[in-house]
Formats: sequence, structure tokens, C-alpha cells
Amino acid sequence: MFDIRRISTSRWWHKKKNWILFVVFLFLVFVRISKGSLYKDLYYFISKPFWPGQFQKEVIRKSLDQESLVKIKLLEKDNRRLREILYLRESTNGEKISAAVISRKTGSWWRQIILNKGSKDGVEIGSSVIGPGGLLGRVNSTSLFTSSVTLLTSPESKVGVLVDRIQIHGLLVGSGDDYPNLILYSEDADIKVGDFVSSSPASTLLPPNIPIGIVQSVGKPFKAKKTAKILLLAKPHVIDWVQILKEKI
Amino acid sequence: MNKFFMKNLSIICFIFIPIIFLWHPNWLGFLGIQPYWPLFWLLPWSMLHGSNNGLIFGLFLGIILDSLTLDSNFTQIPGLVLCGVWFGRFKTHSNILVGHFRYGLICSFGSFICGSLYFLQILFKHFPDSTFLIVMPSFQNIIAEVFLTGFFAPLICSQIFRLFRFSREKSLIKIFSKK
Repeated sequence: MFDIRRISTSRWWHKKKNWILFVVFLFLVFVRISKGSLYKDLYYFISKPFWPGQFQKEVIRKSLDQESLVKIKLLEKDNRRLREILYLRESTNGEKISAAVISRKTGSWWRQIILNKGSKDGVEIGSSVIGPGGLLGRVNSTSLFTSSVTLLTSPESKVGVLVDRIQIHGLLVGSGDDYPNLILYSEDADIKVGDFVSSSPASTLLPPNIPIGIVQSVGKPFKAKKTAKILLLAKPHVIDWVQILKEKI
Repeated sequence: MNKFFMKNLSIICFIFIPIIFLWHPNWLGFLGIQPYWPLFWLLPWSMLHGSNNGLIFGLFLGIILDSLTLDSNFTQIPGLVLCGVWFGRFKTHSNILVGHFRYGLICSFGSFICGSLYFLQILFKHFPDSTFLIVMPSFQNIIAEVFLTGFFAPLICSQIFRLFRFSREKSLIKIFSKK
């Protein structure tokens, strides 16, 4: 009988190149699990010289004054309602963190912005982000120096809102374009073009009474639901400075 | 330093793709939509190194880009892997002008594949209540992305291809001269 033996073997683990590829793959899996925080921090340092300047801050301050007037009116109304009902929770005056937008994706498949404040500055996942005009979105992930915000226009975004005139709660769902959909679970809701929409006092995700937008068009009732397109007051594609609300709901 | 840079030019460019993806320059866009940047790197790389390398680096690119976007339900990996394998089967064209426009055509089609696969995932997820409201912006995304990718590809891909080939030839010459 002949004894057939293999003189030399060539297995994949004998090649150095394969090990390098394996290590690179493991590193990329780490990047994926950490939600790209390494890349976002690298981008933070690269984009630092190009951050928006002080002039923008002044423009924003003016817009914020206008926004505050609208907010005060809303709060007064809410207070009156609270006295009657004595059920709604208080809206707190939490701390705000000012942050610059260092990356924005307001078109295409992904609707997100990246801010230059991260977990180092006390930003937490789930915090609300507001810009001149009103609510922009919520913080979805943070790295040491940056935080990523899911915009209200993203299909991933779903927040509870209140139609101020008719006092009906609804759900604001991003549809991938600039006008998110408002879904009212009532066929008879008397919603009209021009109605003002703000964050719902019943929402567990957002602070109450943050201005969001205005009804732009109303759709036909479908399956006991009524839908409307909302024109957002805060424009994420032009805003360079935003504020992150630190308050806990 | 210069030698190191020349030798690893393609890998250095690879590291910078996510940075450009995050940068998202508005002035280069159309309807708020950008060209699909990873294809500009993947096409020259796969053409030079073949389908297997295209597949591996398509996967790597997909993993990195998925980590930068917040939509955890959808992935760009299938489109990029498919493009990596497909691009690896192309050979360079002798006619420079035809070669240039071929880059545009290939990248446009690649972008269409990636966009369509992403859109199919969205449709699949929202299948029970997929509405016309989701479909329309998606079509707009795909068409604008295909147009922009095809428009910039002849300019960017041909330059990247030349750089990669130059750095590869240099490293090959060095290996042979050592032997």
C-alpha cells in the first residue's frame, strides 16, 4: 500500500494577507457597533476650521426672540388649560446646549445632522434639538465630540404632536421628503390648512409646546385616519446653529 | 513619507470616503441630493484588483457607511457588494474618450442598483402600509442620484483610476527590482 501524504499544505490561515483582511474586518465591525463614532470624531477635527461663524449667531438670536413670543402665547394658553384640568405635567426650563451643525444630510435617503457637541458636553441620546423656528429632531447617537440627530423629515422619526386650534393629538411621521405627514386617528377631525402644530403635552419623548410647523395640505380620510402635510418652521438645510435641550421629560 | 503615501494611495482614499460622505457639500448637490460617492472609489479599485477585491471592499465600505447613517433598519452593503463584483469584471478601454464616458455610464447604473436595493428594503419594511408618500421621494432620490453620479464619474473616476494605476505600477516595479 502506498502511503499518500501531503508534503505541503496551503490553507487560508497560512496567508498573511488573509489575516490582515480579517483584522480590518474586525475593526470595521467595531466601527459599525460604535455607530461610526471614531469617524465622526475624526470628522469633528477635520471640519473644525469650517464651522459657522458668529454672524449666524446674531441672526439666530433674532429668530429665537420671535420664536419665544409664539412660545409665550402657547404657554399662557396651556397654563389656563392646566388650571382647569390639573392633570398635565409641568414644562421645565431645562438647560440648553448651543451646538453648530458640522454635517447635514437633508436630502437623499438619510435625513440627519451631526452637531459639534457630544457626550463630553453632556448631550444624551433622546434629547430634543431645536433651531430657529422650532423643533428639528431628536439626538439618536452620540460620540465623544459629536452627536447625530434624526430630523423630523426622516422616515425613522415619529413624534406626538398637538394641533393647537382643534386640540387634537396626532402623530408626526417623516416621509423622506421635506414635508412630514401628520396622522390624526379621527376621520372627523376638522383640520385646516394653516393650523399650527406643536409638540404634544402628552408626549413622553418631547417637552411640551415646542413649535413644529403649519399644516400645508390636508389629505382625504383613509381607513379612519386623516393625514396632512406639515411645513416645518425650522429649516434644517439652512440652520447652522441649534440648541440641544438637556431637560429630562 | 512620500513613498508611503504613493504606495498606499488607494487605501488612504478609502479612509476619506466616509469623510466626504459626511461632508455632503450642498453646492455639489441637486434637489438636496448628492452623487453616490463610494462608487467613485469602488469602480477604479475593482477594475484594477478584480471582482474578489471588489466584493471585500464593497462589504467594508458598506459597513462603514452604515455606521454613519442613523437608519439602522436598512443597509447599503448589498448594493456595494454587487457593484464591487460587477465592476471587477470590466477592463480598461483603449479609447480614452470612450473610456471616460463608460465610467459615467457604469457609475450611473451602479448608483441605480444601490438606490433600488435600498428602496426595496424600505418598501419591504413598510409593506403592510406602504404609501405613495414614501414611494415618490424615493423615486426622486434614485433619479437625482443616478444623474449626479453619472455626471461626475467621468471626471472623478478617470483621475482616481490614473492615480491608482500609477501607484500600483510603482509598487510593482519596486518589487521586481528588489527580486
